[in-house]
Amino acid sequence: MSAETASPKRSRVIDDKSLSLEYHRSLWQDGARRFRRNWLAVGGLFVVIAFLILALVGPHIAPYDFLEQNIANAFGGFTVEHPLGADDLGRDVLSRMLHGARTAALVAFSTTAISLVIGVLLGTWSGIRGGRTDQFLMWISDLIQAMPGLLLVILINTTLRRPIINWFDQLYEQTKNPFYLNTLWLDYVLVFSALALIAWPGLARLIRGQVLSINEEDYVLAARALGASEWHIMLRHVIPNALGPLVVAVTASMGGAVTFEATLSFLGIGVQPPNASWGSMLNESLRLWQVFPHLVLSPAVTIGVITVAFVFLGDGLNDALDPRRNS
Amino acid sequence: MASFLLIRLLRWSVGLLLILFVTYAMMYYGAGDPIRMMFIQGEDFDSEDEVVMLALRKKYGLDEPFIVQFGNYLNKLVQGDWGRSIRLQVDRPVLEIVKFRLPISMQLGFAATVIGAVVGIGLGVIAALYHNRWLDRLIISTVLFINGIPIFVVGPMLLLLLVLQLGLIDVPYGWSGLFHIDAALPVAVISISILPIIVRQTRSAMLEIKSQLYVRTARAKGVPEFWIIMRHMMRPMLTPVVTTLGLVMISLINGSLIVELIFNIPGFGLLTIEGIKKVDYPIIMAVAVVGTLIIFISNFLVDIIYPILDPRVRAK
Repeated sequence: MSAETASPKRSRVIDDKSLSLEYHRSLWQDGARRFRRNWLAVGGLFVVIAFLILALVGPHIAPYDFLEQNIANAFGGFTVEHPLGADDLGRDVLSRMLHGARTAALVAFSTTAISLVIGVLLGTWSGIRGGRTDQFLMWISDLIQAMPGLLLVILINTTLRRPIINWFDQLYEQTKNPFYLNTLWLDYVLVFSALALIAWPGLARLIRGQVLSINEEDYVLAARALGASEWHIMLRHVIPNALGPLVVAVTASMGGAVTFEATLSFLGIGVQPPNASWGSMLNESLRLWQVFPHLVLSPAVTIGVITVAFVFLGDGLNDALDPRRNS
Repeated sequence: MASFLLIRLLRWSVGLLLILFVTYAMMYYGAGDPIRMMFIQGEDFDSEDEVVMLALRKKYGLDEPFIVQFGNYLNKLVQGDWGRSIRLQVDRPVLEIVKFRLPISMQLGFAATVIGAVVGIGLGVIAALYHNRWLDRLIISTVLFINGIPIFVVGPMLLLLLVLQLGLIDVPYGWSGLFHIDAALPVAVISISILPIIVRQTRSAMLEIKSQLYVRTARAKGVPEFWIIMRHMMRPMLTPVVTTLGLVMISLINGSLIVELIFNIPGFGLLTIEGIKKVDYPIIMAVAVVGTLIIFISNFLVDIIYPILDPRVRAK
């Protein structure tokens, strides 16, 4: 959107280096240059990197166990021992926030990975096959995209839970393997699958469009005329050229997954207590927001900052990596 | 033209059927036995209970095979019998509940759309007129920022700011009509969530129109800038904005789910959450039906309105 923010002034003096013939820049170098000019996007990138690092090491540097209760300190304010206070059970909010970062990052990565695989497979298939296959797949993705995503995710999430639990109970009866009794991670699997199910159409559509348009390009025709195999064309020409928009889409998808996970947990449907999630922390703290507003602050501000960072990052990447931008 | 609309109608209807089918199947196979949940809390129940449960299943038609149940459901749905709530408000007709709940959300949504559209179109036009200048950048960055913050963060933050910090309003709780002060914050939160869609679409439409030849002609004739915007630019600019109706509707439904939970407004969104938490089949189905219908009708409306607004589409 703010493509213009990053665009150089027409009148800017071109430095000599870029005029010389030996000096050429690749698409990615160009993109990096444009990206650096957009300070909102650079800020977003830093926040996202910080978020990922915290998600990785957070639980290890957390001052307390995220489940450790200390009723005496319930609803405690900001102190040196508990920098972000303590919740209704006296659990340290900072430690829970750090664990929540892991939840959010896990959902972001898994959801994006699943929907990327589905999206790339179906999108490429749709683009190459064309005809009926294409029409049918695009109709399905149309339908999914037209639906209110939240409603769909809630439906999937609530209805899949019980069959999976029943199935695992049966498996436990048969095998007596205690693995099947532990359902703590079930929330995560449900959230991943529900989110991936609504996220793939966007990616599939993008890939399909890229495959179709790049296949029309002259350089593909040239490669074909030179006798390059379809494989070679796909790997050397189509995929590298589709990578820019794909990077943008993946960033957006990760940000979207973080938001969606927090939303679901906020509605009390996603990741359930005692697992830590920013969304459910916000929900819990909101019950007593008039008395203990300080507990609302940390999850709300964190979710806000991270999702905004993802949006700025995605927008900056979009401006930087689209070679056809505002020409 | 007629055949175009017919094909569209057919596509959306088949889609609607498919979604109903999938939802029904998910409910049927996934949601768990509502009769069992209805009156036994726990694992121990005796044969007597089984008899009662069988009778209850028969009463609600839950003993038939899946396809028959789905057929029956569709048949009754068309006739206006949407079943009775099993657990939320026991035995109350679902249609009655929806009729009570939906208008509340629709009022919220309508007010939010009006505010969002007026502010959004205004901001979009200003941004386009000041293209690439600081005002444009400010608007675009702000919109991007707003777009990034989830609605369930905006709501609580505004509560803390306006109620606790500034003490401007009382704690908004429940529903006492659209023009009650309690409705102000929910409406504001929802309209903030649809603002980005409208601003972006308006801005890009306006940018395209700005360089049109007829605008240059009008300017050359000496038409005042204000009238150029109102007479020559407004209509071609509004046309693409209308097409965002589908997206706006999705935001409204998503928004009502969250805002109604935060402010405890007994609307459609809260009904959805309550129904799902209590595994109330008929309610969940009704919510899915209404949600899908709203989306499909608004998309179909766009298909109808667009050629009326834009003669170029009609000609094709």
